[in-house]
Amino acid sequence: MRLLLVEDNERFAGLLKRGLAAAGFVVDVMLTARDAAAALRENRFEIVVLDLGLPDADGLDVLGEMRHREDATPVLILTARGSLDARVLGLQSGADDYLVKPFALEELVARLQALLRRPGNFLGVTLKLGNIALDTVARQVLVGDQPIVFSAREISVLEQLLRRSGRVVAKNLLADNIYGLSQEVGSNAVEVYVHRLRKHLAEVGARVQIHTLRGVGYLIAEEK
Amino acid sequence: MLKFRSVVSRIIALHLLAIVVTSICMPLALYMMLNYAAQELHHRALRERAAEILRYLDRGPDGAPRLSLPAALAQFYSEAYGRAAYAVLDASGNALFSSLAGGGAIIRVRPQATPFEYFALHRGDTGLVGVTVAADIGGPPLLLQVSEDLEHRDVLIDDIVAEFFTRVGWITAPILLLLLVIDVLIFRRALRPIVAASALAERIGPARTELRLPEEGMPQEVVPLVNAVNQALDRLEEGFRGQREFTADAAHELRTPLAILRTQIDTIADRELASSLRDDIESMSRLVNQLLDIAELETFVIGEDEIADLAAIATEIATYIAPLALAQRKTVAVTGADHPVLVCGNADTLGRAVRNLVENALSHTAPGTTVEISVVAEGELSVMDRGPGVPSAEREQIFRRFWRRDRRRAGNAGLGLAIVKRIVEMHGAAIGVADRPGGGAIFSIRFPAVIEADPAPAHQFETTL
Repeated sequence: MRLLLVEDNERFAGLLKRGLAAAGFVVDVMLTARDAAAALRENRFEIVVLDLGLPDADGLDVLGEMRHREDATPVLILTARGSLDARVLGLQSGADDYLVKPFALEELVARLQALLRRPGNFLGVTLKLGNIALDTVARQVLVGDQPIVFSAREISVLEQLLRRSGRVVAKNLLADNIYGLSQEVGSNAVEVYVHRLRKHLAEVGARVQIHTLRGVGYLIAEEK
Repeated sequence: MLKFRSVVSRIIALHLLAIVVTSICMPLALYMMLNYAAQELHHRALRERAAEILRYLDRGPDGAPRLSLPAALAQFYSEAYGRAAYAVLDASGNALFSSLAGGGAIIRVRPQATPFEYFALHRGDTGLVGVTVAADIGGPPLLLQVSEDLEHRDVLIDDIVAEFFTRVGWITAPILLLLLVIDVLIFRRALRPIVAASALAERIGPARTELRLPEEGMPQEVVPLVNAVNQALDRLEEGFRGQREFTADAAHELRTPLAILRTQIDTIADRELASSLRDDIESMSRLVNQLLDIAELETFVIGEDEIADLAAIATEIATYIAPLALAQRKTVAVTGADHPVLVCGNADTLGRAVRNLVENALSHTAPGTTVEISVVAEGELSVMDRGPGVPSAEREQIFRRFWRRDRRRAGNAGLGLAIVKRIVEMHGAAIGVADRPGGGAIFSIRFPAVIEADPAPAHQFETTL
């Protein structure tokens, strides 16, 4: 998976490159905004990690040029600017996600994988967590290596959770995905489906856990 | 002794004193002057009468004095008419001619008396005034006395003097009072720029250091003070900005090395060592973030029309923090966030306050417990935990910067709650700590008022975190 890393601090870039390579990315490093813009014009990357504080220009300029060319490659911004203004600016100018320095390498990898799993991406049609795998095209679930039959709605809930594994999926978002936006859903309908799915997963020995966060939503994580 | 602190009240007090003194002294002085002027007029009239009589006084061929008054004049001085009298005396005071019935002097004169003298006499309840002048017609000196009855004196002049107090004298006080009112209005007007400048100065604070007092329209006497204050503000602003920028720059500059360190630690094979180093980096990063937060909040100004939805904030923060809570085998919950609860304020900074409260709660609770964010429709947001609670003696101190119950405990600089307090106060809201029924602590942020929600969904107020 080809990744462009734009980061002016050479040592940091080197370290990140090693870490990302270990996570399976093929990393190209550019140290300046000019080089990055040139690389982006001439090559196709699956994802871009962009530092905002570059010596020759602001990282947001690089991003702006990409989006102007209608280059929809997902971009994750790295920033030392922690304040919200900067964050909002980043997201409004077309970034897909951001991380404030310092961050855990695992967090970066997880965010990148989440971006690549997004609908509309060719990659990540198979969502994996723990010992389960969901084929989003074939609508099939494997637990261990065994195909298990789940209902269409259970698969729909599981897909939503797996797409944002490790993060909270709001309850109303789940409801919208199960029933479509037009239908009014009884507030406990989602709870019923999640409860059934949780029970079903436990029965077939899946090593994942669906956490309920009352009043917030649900989160799926690997069972520890 | 009375102390008047305001310039206007000082002016009023002194002015009133001046009015009292002036309204007593000025009519008195005027009265005396009028009296004097009236007397002068009378004296002149007497002298003129004496001169008139003198024109008809001469000496006959035998050297004896003769007085031949025309009939009209004699009639005027007649006893029957009674208003005036004359007498011509020789040097020893014997009357030669007199209009009086007894034919004597009007007033007895001492020998060698001053040849020119005014006199006043009282007879019963009437009085008369007169003058004695030397009548120089050659020969031995003669004296001429002319008098006028006070009762029948020129009425007009006396009336003016007598009625001065009742008719004219009282006008002084009202005129002076009117002047005082005008003066006060003038002073008020002159002081208006100072009042306006004071209102402006009240708005100067850490978040608004660029404001300066206006020189325009200031009374000239105050301009040097205004200039000096503005220059002092310039110096303060410069120092303040330097301090602020340094904090912000330092925090920024620290983040990149921390990021390098953090990433490098991820490559360490010794998991135990890596984990302990990671904890250190975490707490240092948190400190840097908090310092940056503080530096940013110092200059933060909430927009007048900003609206935040407490329900959305509670949900956002719970969503954001849930993975962290679950990693510690704890959980977060939100209640009361089904409907928007709108307050005036900045959603981002309020979110940071709530996040700090939740992080604080998580750091004080045991695995298996829930941290609950509760939103009340009346404009209150509470974070409740099942930790040890906050002893009542510490409920003020915990919001102080760098306050920690246990200084040995690492990973907490004691800034989180200070930041919360600052954000809450910035919003004109109040924060309080209480015991939670059944154990634990409740941190509540109470807003003075809520904005009635439109029936339309409030998703546009959601925060981005």
